[in-house]
Order: sequence, then structure tokens, then C-alpha cells
Amino acid sequence: MPKPRPPIVKRSLASWIFEGNLPWQALLLAVIGVFVVTRVLPLEMQKRIVNEAIGRREVDLLFAYGTTYLAAVLLSSACKYGIQLIETLIAQRTLARMRRALLEHVLRLPVGFFRENQPGSVVNAVVNELAVPSNFVGAALSTPVANLFTLLSFAGYLLWLNPLLAVVSLAIYPVAMAVLPLLQRGANRANQKRVDLSRTFSGRIAESFNGIHEIHGHAAFGLEQRRFEELIERLRKVRIVWSLFRYGVKSANNFFTSLGPFIVFLLGGWLAIRGELELGALVAFLSAQEKLYDPWKELIEFYQVYQEGKVTYRRTMEFFDVESPVEVAPLDRPPLRLEGSLQVRGLDFLTESGIRLLQDIQLALRPGEHLALVGFSGSGKSTLALCLAQLHAVEEGRIFLGGHDIARLTKQDIAANVGLVSQHPFLFEGTLRDNLLYACRALAAPQPSLDDIIAVLHQTGLFADVLRFGLNAPFDPERHGAIAPSLIRVRRKFQEKFGARFAEVVEFYDAAAYLEYSSIAENLLFGTACRTEFAPPRLAANDGVIDFLVREALLHRLVNVGIRLARQTVDILGNLPPERLFFAQSPMTAEELPVFRRTLEQLRRRSPEQLSREDTLRLLELALRFTPGTHKMLELGDELRARLLAARLRLRREIERDLPGAVAFYDPEAPIPAQPILKNIVFGNTLPARPRIQEQILQIVVQLLIEKDLLEAIVEIGMEADVGTQGDKLSGGQRQKLAIARVLLKSPRILILDEATSALDNRSQTRIQNLLETRWKGRSTVVAVVHRLDIIEPYDRIAVMKAGKIVEIGTFAELMARKGALYELAGKR
Amino acid sequence: MNSPESAEPERGSEYEENLELLRQIDFFSGFPLEPLKIFAYLGARQRFRAGEALFEQGEEDATAFLLVAGRLRLERESGGRTRTIRFFEAGAFIGGLSLLGDCRRLYTLRAEETSVCLALEREKFSRALEQFPGQMPRLFQTVVDAIVGWEENFLEKMAEDCGGCIPRLGVSLL
Repeated sequence: MPKPRPPIVKRSLASWIFEGNLPWQALLLAVIGVFVVTRVLPLEMQKRIVNEAIGRREVDLLFAYGTTYLAAVLLSSACKYGIQLIETLIAQRTLARMRRALLEHVLRLPVGFFRENQPGSVVNAVVNELAVPSNFVGAALSTPVANLFTLLSFAGYLLWLNPLLAVVSLAIYPVAMAVLPLLQRGANRANQKRVDLSRTFSGRIAESFNGIHEIHGHAAFGLEQRRFEELIERLRKVRIVWSLFRYGVKSANNFFTSLGPFIVFLLGGWLAIRGELELGALVAFLSAQEKLYDPWKELIEFYQVYQEGKVTYRRTMEFFDVESPVEVAPLDRPPLRLEGSLQVRGLDFLTESGIRLLQDIQLALRPGEHLALVGFSGSGKSTLALCLAQLHAVEEGRIFLGGHDIARLTKQDIAANVGLVSQHPFLFEGTLRDNLLYACRALAAPQPSLDDIIAVLHQTGLFADVLRFGLNAPFDPERHGAIAPSLIRVRRKFQEKFGARFAEVVEFYDAAAYLEYSSIAENLLFGTACRTEFAPPRLAANDGVIDFLVREALLHRLVNVGIRLARQTVDILGNLPPERLFFAQSPMTAEELPVFRRTLEQLRRRSPEQLSREDTLRLLELALRFTPGTHKMLELGDELRARLLAARLRLRREIERDLPGAVAFYDPEAPIPAQPILKNIVFGNTLPARPRIQEQILQIVVQLLIEKDLLEAIVEIGMEADVGTQGDKLSGGQRQKLAIARVLLKSPRILILDEATSALDNRSQTRIQNLLETRWKGRSTVVAVVHRLDIIEPYDRIAVMKAGKIVEIGTFAELMARKGALYELAGKR
Repeated sequence: MNSPESAEPERGSEYEENLELLRQIDFFSGFPLEPLKIFAYLGARQRFRAGEALFEQGEEDATAFLLVAGRLRLERESGGRTRTIRFFEAGAFIGGLSLLGDCRRLYTLRAEETSVCLALEREKFSRALEQFPGQMPRLFQTVVDAIVGWEENFLEKMAEDCGGCIPRLGVSLL
């Protein structure tokens, strides 16, 4: 059996120096050996050049010693570079390993830890605070060894040159060693405070970002700012104190080392005057003494890094030194496969502050039995559900799953057998597929097939949503090229069979017709831009297009449309708040409104021709966005429509001639890149505000996709849809359906639903209820916390909770007949 | 070159037409121009083919309709039988109450022929109205007048014929 490693929070900083870095540290020592020699050698050469070469006037010796000096300096630089490289390598390897180990530890901490501490503090610890200790690890061996050796070699050399002078000038260092730690202690105290404050600060920032809706909703900007203000101020003060001490150490050190040459000049000069010291020896002594300064400075810096690293490391590890009550994975066996029985005996649950949330809960369910937990809010239903899923540690009483005490089961045992769907499920950034397969991937069991996934999507009612995501996904020639031919066939069929029927509600792409539900830019291009300068928002900045509009005598006409649009929009929306509801039918955004208001004011005094080029182009851009079907504040006029239509053809010819491939023109026989797949099939604009018709079109498209065997491909594209941060691109109902599907895909023996369908509409809720009854009854044990009493009748048993206790339990009929708590809860009394 | 503005046609936009139509509706008669402009801007034209339902009995939707062109039929189904209650002609405004609060449709409204309506949704209506807090009392007054006026009219002209329904009257005492 492998020996379990101590958790990272119990490891000393020193333990990181050699573990996993041994070969690198050994290499480092070898390079340092060479380095020390190359640092001392030039001193001896200096002396010899002065005493032997210059003294005896021998040019050969001068060259020989000079060359040796140069070689030593070159090699020394190369060694220094190599040392820094290896140090960085060790530091970065250590940082990565520390982060990995700390994250591994932190993710496994009990859920309670995360309730008590802000996520931001964890982020700060993992991202920022570990850098200093890992830098220490990188230099932990090399810096003291290299510098001590150099220091000792220089000291030895000095003693050999002149023992008296050496002893006197080296006497400074013991004094420095006594004074500097005193200052460093002050720096450490400040650093400790800084680490704690930085963590709190990061936590506070993350908290505010998470609560940004509340902040905006209550306009609590000032309040939040004040909360930050105090922390920023404390952090500022502590950082200044910290810096004062750190630079104090450096300055004191500088002072001590500067005293060295003074002593040498004084004493050495006196000796030289008396003829007791050669001039060459004095020069060598002086430069050797100067060289003492470098290794000494590095040693002091290293001492500081060590102290900072030690404090930061200890503070960080102490913060996370919390024990997890259960093991993550069994070490000596695969995860257990439990049968679905569930027993709760005398379960009590107390909060940290001693409030009793559950009291003497007794419960026994046979495998496959379904239990509904009901009760007033605050009665302990959700707490009980979380205890059953091992998310709350059981302290008093016992819970048995499949006959095993839950306190002895590892996290993996639970995950392999229990599926929990919480009321506010969390989705991770990524695709729908990533989130659907999250539970299965975590188990590392055989992954579900596409058929399994589609079946679950149908069961949970998510299929229609995923299909819609697929149909709304933009067609990407690279990724979806394979389905292009089938897509065109579906388009053709839709046109043939349903074109006439939907002629009133779909504006088909017809090269000879002006598109009322496309912008003027889209009407001119009649295609999708393949180069960004032809994308509708950039069209007004495209000089080629502007030239074209001038030649067509359209520029002034369009600028004029822009002026009239600006006038109407500012008149209607000028005094309204900048909300989407008001601006959705406007070609102008709320942010642009003040800019256009200024342009309109200028137009009172000037003619349109006198406007600046910037203002003119902005008005052109506004006009190019104008979509008659959506923006009802202006009538374009038939004559202008006809001119735009005529220009469309000429623009196409020019682009095809000068910039072939810059625009993918609408072609009934080719897919339209970057446009939604549904639009690719319908080949036109679906008119808004007709939900029923849109539903009909969707159904017909689905039918055609089935006929052409394309449905699965579209569903697969839909599964690649990005769910956004925390699933914010999905509705509350979609998030819940996805969370249910995610758990059903792993077919758990025991399913715990904590108000898992609260955000669903009646139809979807009924669907999930039917699914539980038809497919899961008898197969999987279900414990469902239910808020709505109209769906509990089919459950085998219903437990009514009140103030942390189960006050009655039985079938729906029994409890209603008894006229007790359920009867009361149902409002019958 | 001439000032480019003179080259444009004078035909009114859909927004301007909507504004003109709304000004003629009793429900909006108390409103000044500013909120009416926003209603005219936020309203959406919808086209219904003959036989297509604007809303159906029992549905909860929150849209009022101004019939711009065409003809609509109001139906009520009870006991498996569908009865035509009445017809609406162009200019009729239907469903103003649903702009004020949730109300279940008691009737089905169907296009008798191809019809165009200006539809105004409650969310848009109430958000726009929030910008003009002083207008709410006027709107309530319009609704009160309509209810009292209807009952008064009924009492004067039809109460004699309605037989057993007399004890159920009194909606204006709500």
C-alpha cells in the first residue's frame, strides 16, 4: 500500500527544496563550483599583472594574465546566467507543484469552509502568494552556497594577502549580522499582516463581483466603495511599514559594506607609506574587498526572500489547514457499488453557532422507494437532503446507504451511487456538452453514447432547447462543412413544400426584392461579409464602399436618412432611461443618443454638408443600420428602395471583380456562412412578433431534418453551445433541466432532488414527475424535497417536516385521511 | 447640390400612423402626446390570416390590440358550442384591461378576414407608463368611466330584457 503523503498544509517550506528537484540542484552545485573559481581567479590575475607583468615590464606575461582574466570573466558570466536559469526552472517547477497540491487540497475541503471564506481569498493564495515561497525554493541551495563559498574564498584570499588588514575589514560583517535580523523581524511582522489583508481584500472584491446585481439594483456603489476604502487604507499603511523595514535592511547593509574600503584605505595606506605593504597587494586587497560586497548583498537579499517566503508560506498554509472529514477516494479498492436502501437513525444536525436544524431524524427506505420531503420553509428539508448526499458531515446519529455508514464512505463511493440535483444548480463555463457530461467524466466510468445523451435530453425536456441552440448556431464552413449538402437539400424542400404557405411571414432572400427585415447595409451587400471591412458595422468606414455610394449618388441620400432617423429617435427616446426594452426597436443605442443629439444641435446652425467627416460617417452608419421592418420611425420611400436595389447588383459586380471572396453573396444553392443554421434553411428573415408561426416553422424544419437524417447533427451542434459564465446564457428552467440530465446520465442508485424542478413550468415539471414514476420507480431510490404539494401524490411515502423533525410519514392518502400536518400544509384546514 | 432633405418623400412612417390611430382611442384619450409617442413606437403591427386566433379563451396573455384594418370575430365556447359574440371593425381597441394586470381571456378573438393589428404588450406599456407617473390616475379614471358607463347603459336599455340576470348586476360597485 502506498504511504499517504502528508497534506500540503502540513509540509514545511524546506521540504520543497529537494523533492523532485534533486538532479537540478546537483547540476546547480556543479555550476556554482566553477563559478566560485572564476570569480576568485581575476583577483590573482590583477595582482600578477601589477606586480609581475608591469613591475618586470614583461609584455608576454601581460598578455597571458590578461587572457586568463578575460576567460575567467567570460566563464563567470556564463555560469551566472546558467545559475539564474536553473534557479528559475526550479522556482517555476515548485510553484506549479505547490499550486497543484494546494488546489487539490482546497477542492477537497469540506463545503463549510467555502461558506465561511470568500472564494477571492483562495484565488489570491493560489495565484499570488505562492510566488514568493517558490522563488525562495529556487534559490534556496544555490544562493547561500555560491555566495558563502565566494565570500569565504575572498576572505581567505584577503587573509593570505594581509592577515591584519583582512581581520580588521572583515570585522564589520559580524556587526551587520547582529543588527540586520532586528530590522527583518519588523518587516516580517508587517508582511504577515499584508498577507492576511491581501487575502481579505481579494475575498471582498470577489464578493462584490458576485453580488454585482445587488450593487446595481440598490445603487450601492458608494456603500461598496466605503467597504473597500478601509481595507485599501490599511493595506496602504501596512505596505509602507513593510517597505520601510525592507529598505531599512538594505540601507543598513549598504552602510556597513561602505565602511570596508574606508578601513582599508586608512590602515592599508598607513602600511604602504611605511613600506610594509606592496602597492599591488593594496590594489588587489581593495578590489577583493569591493568584491566581498556582491556575495554579501546577495546573501542579505536571499535572507529577505527566505523570511518573506517563510511568512507567506506559513500564513497561507495555516489558512487552509482544515481537515476533511471524509476521504476523497478509497486507496485500496474501487468505488463501492451500493444497493439503493437508505436508513437514517437518530440524526441531529447543528450549525456552527449551535442552532439545531435537524433533530432525531429516523427514516428507512427500501431500494427503489420514492420519498417526498415536504414542510414549511426552514423546516430542515434541504439540510436533510444535503446530509444524505454527504455534503454536510454527520456528527450525531448515523446514515446508512446500501447498508454502509455514510461517514465511512469516500467521496467517490458517494458520487458513484448518489445523484444530487440542487435547487440552484451550478453550471461551469464551457459548452452544454461539457456540463452534461460533467458527472460522468468525474466518475471516469464508460462514457454515455450519443444515443444515451439524446434519450436523456428527451426525458428531461431539454431536447427542444438543444435543438434550438443548434438551429441558432452560426453556420461555420470549417466545422459544419460536412452537413452543407444536406442543409441545402432541406432548404430546397422547405422552399418547395412550404414556401407559398409562409410567404407572408418569411421574407425569403430574393435578389430582386428589397428586404424589409434586413438593414440597408445588408440590402446593399445581399450576403455575409467574409472580410471584416465588409461586415455591416464596418461598412461606413470602408473607403471603397463610400466611393461606390458617391458614384451611385447615394451617400447624401443615406446621410439624410441618418439625419431623419436621428431626429425621430431622439424625439421619441430622448428622455427615456437607457433600457433594452426601449432601444430594441431603435437603430441607435442608448450610449450613442447624446452624440447624435449634439450632431442634431449643430444641424440647427449648419447645413448637412458643413458637418465634420466624422459626424457625416456616423450618420451614414446609422442609416446603414436602418431596417424598415424593425425601426418603424421612418418610411424609406419606394424610390430610394429601388435605387438601393439597383446599387446592390452593381456593388456585387464590383466586389466580385476587385475583391473576389470578400463577401459570400446569398445563393440558393450555397450555405450562408456565419448566419444561424435555421436561417440557412429558411433562407430568409422570419418576421418577428409571431411566436406561433415561428413555432410552426420550427416544427416543419425539425420534420425535414428528420427526413434528411440531419437532426442528430444539429443536436450535436447544439450541444456545443456555450452556456456562459455560471450558465447565464440559459434560462433558469434550462439550467435545472440540464442539472437533472447531468445526474440522470450517470444512472445513480439513489437520487436526491432538492427542489430540483422549482424553476420549471408546469409542463416540464409534469414531464420530470412522469419520468420519475415510469422509469425510476423501483429502479432507483428517490428522495425529493418538494415545495409544490400538487405533485407529491404519486410518491410511495411522504415525510412532513416541521422545525427540524419529521412529524408524520406515510402515503398521501394516509396522511390526508389523518388530517394532520400534511392536511394543514395543503391548506385544507 | 441642393439640401439633401428636400429630396425625400412625404409619406408618413408606420410610427406616425400608429400615433395618429392611438390618439383616436378612448382608452388613451386622457394621455398627453409624450407617452402616446412611446406607445406608438413600442407597438408592433401584426398580420393575421382569416381564421387565425389573436388570443384564445382561457389563455393568459398580456397584449392589447388596435385593429388597423380588417375585421375580427369574438367567440365564446361553452358546453362544446361556440357562439359568436360580436364583430370588431377597423379602429376598435380590444383588451385594454390586460395592460393593467393579469387577466384570463374569457373569449377567443379571431380574424374574420386578413387583418392587421397594432399590438401593445403589457411589459412595454407599463415600463413606458412608469416614465410618466402622473398619468396613472387618468388611466384609472378612463377604466372607471368605461365600467360605470357600460353598466348605466345596460340598466337603462337592457335590464328589462335580461330576466334572471338582475341580481347579478353591480359590476360598477366593485
